[in-house]
Formats: sequence, structure tokens, C-alpha cells
Amino acid sequence: MTTLSDVGATGPTPVPASRVDVAPDRRGSWIPTGGMIATRFMELRRRRGLMITLILVTIGIPTVFLTIRLLLHAFAPKTYGPAGGYSIYTAFVSGVLYVLGFIVAATLGATAGSADLTDGMFRHLVVTGRSRLALYVARIPAGLAVIVPLVAVGFTIVCAVCVFASPTRLSFNGVNVPVNLSRAGLEGWAADHADEVICNFGIRIGPSTPNAATLNAVLNSVPCKNGPGGGPGPNVNQPAGPQGQPQPSQTQIGETASLIAGMNYSDYARQFLYPSNSLMIKSGLWLELEAVIGFVVALGLGSLIGQRTVAVIMMIVLEVVLTPILSRARIPHLLNLQRAVVGLATAHLAPGGLPVLGGGGGGPTGGSGNPGLLPESTIVAVCVIIAWLVGWTILGAWRMMTRDA
Amino acid sequence: MIESLTLPAASDSEVNESQWAVETRGLTKRFGENVAVNGVELLVPRGCAFGYLGPNGAGKTTLIRVLLGLTHADAGTMFLLGHKVPRHRDKALARVGAIVDEPRFHGHLTGRQNLQILAAAREPEARHRIGPSLERVGILHRADDKVSKYSMGMRQRLGVAACLIGNPQLLILDEPMNGLDPAGMQDMREMILSLVAEGRTVVLSSHLLDEVERTCDAVAIVDRGSVVRQGPISELLAGASLKLQVECSDPDRARALIAATAIGADDGAEVTADPTGLGVTLSAGTGREVIAEINRLLVEGGIAVYRLQVIQASLESWFLQVTSRLGSSE
Repeated sequence: MTTLSDVGATGPTPVPASRVDVAPDRRGSWIPTGGMIATRFMELRRRRGLMITLILVTIGIPTVFLTIRLLLHAFAPKTYGPAGGYSIYTAFVSGVLYVLGFIVAATLGATAGSADLTDGMFRHLVVTGRSRLALYVARIPAGLAVIVPLVAVGFTIVCAVCVFASPTRLSFNGVNVPVNLSRAGLEGWAADHADEVICNFGIRIGPSTPNAATLNAVLNSVPCKNGPGGGPGPNVNQPAGPQGQPQPSQTQIGETASLIAGMNYSDYARQFLYPSNSLMIKSGLWLELEAVIGFVVALGLGSLIGQRTVAVIMMIVLEVVLTPILSRARIPHLLNLQRAVVGLATAHLAPGGLPVLGGGGGGPTGGSGNPGLLPESTIVAVCVIIAWLVGWTILGAWRMMTRDA
Repeated sequence: MIESLTLPAASDSEVNESQWAVETRGLTKRFGENVAVNGVELLVPRGCAFGYLGPNGAGKTTLIRVLLGLTHADAGTMFLLGHKVPRHRDKALARVGAIVDEPRFHGHLTGRQNLQILAAAREPEARHRIGPSLERVGILHRADDKVSKYSMGMRQRLGVAACLIGNPQLLILDEPMNGLDPAGMQDMREMILSLVAEGRTVVLSSHLLDEVERTCDAVAIVDRGSVVRQGPISELLAGASLKLQVECSDPDRARALIAATAIGADDGAEVTADPTGLGVTLSAGTGREVIAEINRLLVEGGIAVYRLQVIQASLESWFLQVTSRLGSSE
């Protein structure tokens, strides 16, 4: 009979038990080392196909589009407007970089969350004795070190073109207007360009409007291209009034133009040749926030389900299909659940002036002023975003810590 | 029949100065109704090459996975290098290197870059061991090639290099010879022996019994989740049955002669005859004098004996003997 005692007594001479001291490396700590983050960054950066895709989407698409616009404007400036400008900026930031940045970040996150498993490296890493939590946490700064600069470069290109290739004159309702005028300045300029203002600016005249009769007389007397003598007259919203009044004086016409300019000042004040520094900084941070959310959520999802493709598809569906629907539809009894959608929360934090979630237009108060979105306070929006970041990190880390390697 | 095992006194401490590199008590792992590891009692002495053998599905890899914390145990205790795991898993694994199943790496990275990732998860000194480890396993010249271009054998070597960067006191290698050509197997064998000569412990799980016999000092046989035999190879083989091959003039009459004696009547004895000679299997522990007695019987019976050869029991024959006996007992 072979016994374990026999093994000890007659087997190969055991080496005296010597405690091999290992330099303290905090291997059980959940905090990853700089080396772990650096090598994880390297692992992601060396994925050539993935990196080419990320660069093409975040940098290539804006670069190609804006380059074409620059060339068209250079060769046919009368046909094609300037490549940059405020409207191009808002369209790019809220319509292209916002969505694509999220998808790109999600792709990277899902890759980072599942690559070790699918490539078979997870087992090697676990055998090092390093805390599984630290292995997970190391992926977050490493992935962000990839995606944040990519989004920043793409955004910088958009900013540069939109600022340096912006229009030199502001076109407001089809009229070239000087930029950055005060209310008095705009009213003064309007008095000097009365016909253009009266014929093109929006006019709101109600029963309570003072001197409504005089105004109507002025409006009816101004010969617009699409007005009296040829069309419906100035762009006017007014009640029916008495006709056959005497011709107004030039002073009255100027005063009327000033009045109309004052009515349009709030809209005019939101028109810029190019985005302000403040808006660009806020937009950049907002885009980075969106990218961080996309990465962290996809990292957790990728780790949870252990594969990349399904995680990426789910993230795209969330961003492109579910979020726009749940952010605008009013579903009874589910409103609070809808408010928990991270895309809605992010949209509410959008800087002022950016239309979000497929149009609808932001307002001067930011995304929260967007009448199309389900209302949500800023505090709730911030809480929702934090909950998504923390929740998915916990889920992903938990799965990594409990998964059989 | 599974032989009973006698354990040394149990240690309750979580870190001990045990002479055992691996020590398990009642280790059990279930997958639903299936018990993959069934109360395993295993003691691996420090500083030796230890073979871990068993048929397919016997639970070899599962036990290794449990030991390394790749999956959790359902019952039992275990110590690696004197550290109780999983509680002190980080300290234990700091000096353990392992290959489990087929070694796989990031294919888009080079061998060196893969090791850099693993070294970063170990102590800071580990990164200085990358070059020497690659050199030791013989793939330094391919270290900067992508792993996707490596052959199976090269990935095996890279797996061993990944073990070595931790300067391990205990290496657990699961089928390390897979994919290696004969020269590669020779290299691997020599490397394992050199690692043992340095005072490290190597646990080798393999189907290649010949390799295990040539490499290891002691073995354990696992079957259906339980360790059924363990000990030094020399002792285990000494307990194997004795086989004699006899070339003689009349094999049939020789078989009848032996069967009529006390030798043939022994429970463990088996005598077979074929046209070329006689095969005699004697029970374990049979002395050399029995061989002389058989020779005398045949000669006195008028049978010419041309050759009488003792067939040395190999690990393979012993393994088959043990596992077949276990199978037939059920």
C-alpha cells in the first residue's frame, strides 16, 4: 500500500522549506501599477485594425469632409460657402463626433473588456497572483489614454477649420449683418438698412403692439421682392387691419426697422461666425464625457458577456436606436425609467447652442432647454451618468473576479 | 481498488514552513452533478519533478485550475509553497509559474510584448528576466515576431518563458510536450531537469508516460477525480507485478507444469503460452528466487529452456495495470 507518509519518507529528498521572500509589490492591491497600465495601453494600441478604424472614424471622417469643403470653396467660392463656421461646427459636434465618438469608444471598451478572455491571456494574468480587480481597473486609464486623444484630435480639426475657415459676414435670415452688435447697435444698423430688415426679418405684431396701425402702414408700403407689387409682402405675422393709410415717412420706416431688429435680437445674438472659445471648451469636454461613458460602459459589458461583437452591437443599438426614442417619447408610467437612459442625461449636459439627439436644437440654456427632450434636471442627469459609470464598472469587475479562467 | 491514504498531521496555520510544494486535503470541485475533483489528497515534495498522470477526463486539469485559483474549490484546503490558498493566493502565486491547457497569447503582439504584459503584473524585477527567459527556452531569436506567426511548439516554449519570468519555486506544466518535435521534447526534458537541479519544483501533467518516467522522480495517478496512487516512481514500480518471458521447446507443457505448482496457483499469477514461448506474470513483491524455481521446474520436466528474461515494468505498463484494475473493479 502506498501512503502519503511513504512518499515523504522515501521520495525525492525534499528541499528544506525555504521561504522565498518576494519584494513587496502590493500584488493583492486593487490599484494597478503604472507598468500594468502602460502594457495594457500598448496591447490596445498595437491592434492595428482596430486603431485604423478608430482613427478613420474620429479623425478621418471630419478631415475628409472638411477638406472637400475647403477645396470646393477655394475653387468655386461663389457656389460653395466657407468650409467652417458656426453651423458646421454645431452640426459636426452634435451630429457626427457625438455619435461616432461614443461608438468608437464603445468598440474600444468592448475590446479591452473581452480581449484577454478571447485571446487566452486572462489565465496567464490570473496565475501571476495579481488582484483580478487590479487587472480590470488597469484597463480603464489605458483605454482612456487611447480614446481621449483620438476624440480630442478629431475635435481640434473641426474647431480649427470652423474657426479659421469661417464666413467673414453673418447671414441672418438671408441678410448680411455685422457680427457681435449690441441691441442698440443692431437697431441702429437696421435703421440704415430698413428695406432689407423689413422684408427679411421676422415680425410679430399683435393687438397689444403699440402703433400697430403705423407699423402695418410701413410694412405695406415697403416694396419687397416678394412683397407688395409681387407677393405677400414682408415676413409678417399680424392681424388684419385697415388699409388705405397714407405713405409713411422715411423716419417712420427707419423706426419700424429698428423695432423689428429689436424683436429679432435674441435670435441674432445666438448667431456667430464661428464658435466661441467657451463653447469649444465646453463642447470638447462634453464630447470627451460621452467618449468616457461609451468606453467604461462597453468595458463593463464586454467583461460581463466575455465577447466583443455582441457588446459593440448592443452599444450601437443603445446609442443610435434606443436613446433617441426614449429621450423624446413620453411613455406613461415609464418616464422615470426613461430618465435613467444615459444618453438623455448626456444630452441634457450639452453646451448651449448644440442641437442634440438627431436634431431639435439646443437652446441658450443648453440641452436642458431643448423642448424635444424629456425634461430632466442637471442634478439627476449627473447622478444618472455617475450611476452608469460606477454600475458598469462594478458589474464588469465582479464578473472578472468571479469568472473561471 | 483504491488504496487508503495516510495523511500527516493536519496543519491549521495559514502559512506554514511545509516541506511540500503542493499540499491538498479533501479538495473537491463539482460541476453540477459531476465531481471533477473528488477529495484529492496530494503531497508534492519540494525540489522534485512530480508527474501527474491520469486518463482523459480524470480531472487533472481541473485540479491544476483549482490549485491556481482559476476556478474555486467546493471543499477542502490547499497550500502552495506553504501559503494557504485562496486566502494568500497572491503570496503563493508570486513564486508559481504555470501553463494550463494550450498556452495562448495575444496574437497581434510579439512574444516579448506578451511577456512584458505578464511581467508588469508581477514584481518589478520580472521585466529584467524577460530576455533570459526567452533565451533559456530557445526563442530569443523569434522574440520580436508576432505570436500569431509562432508554431504550436514555439507557443509552448513561450508559455514556459512566461512561467520563468516570475523566478518560480513551483512550476505547474500541463502537457508541456504538446506540439514539440523530438528535439524540442529533448530540450524541454533537459530544461525541466535543470529547473529541478536549481531547487525548483516541477509538477508535470502529461499523457506521455515515457517522458514522465524519464523526467520525474515521483508521480501521482488520478482517476475519476481522485488520486489513486502516488509516490516515488522507483517504489511504485517495485510494487508492480513481475513479468517473465520464457523461450522453451514445449510452451504448452511448460504452462501446464507451472500451473500445477504453487507458483501457478498464486492469485496474482498468470501463465500464457504461444508457439514461441511462455509468458509468466507474477504478483507484486515476488522474489528473484521464484525465477530460478521456474527454470528448475522446466528443466527437470524435460523442457529445453533457451532464454528466460525478466521484463522490466515500465511506468506505462504500471499505469495501465492500475487504471485497468480500477476499471475492472467497478
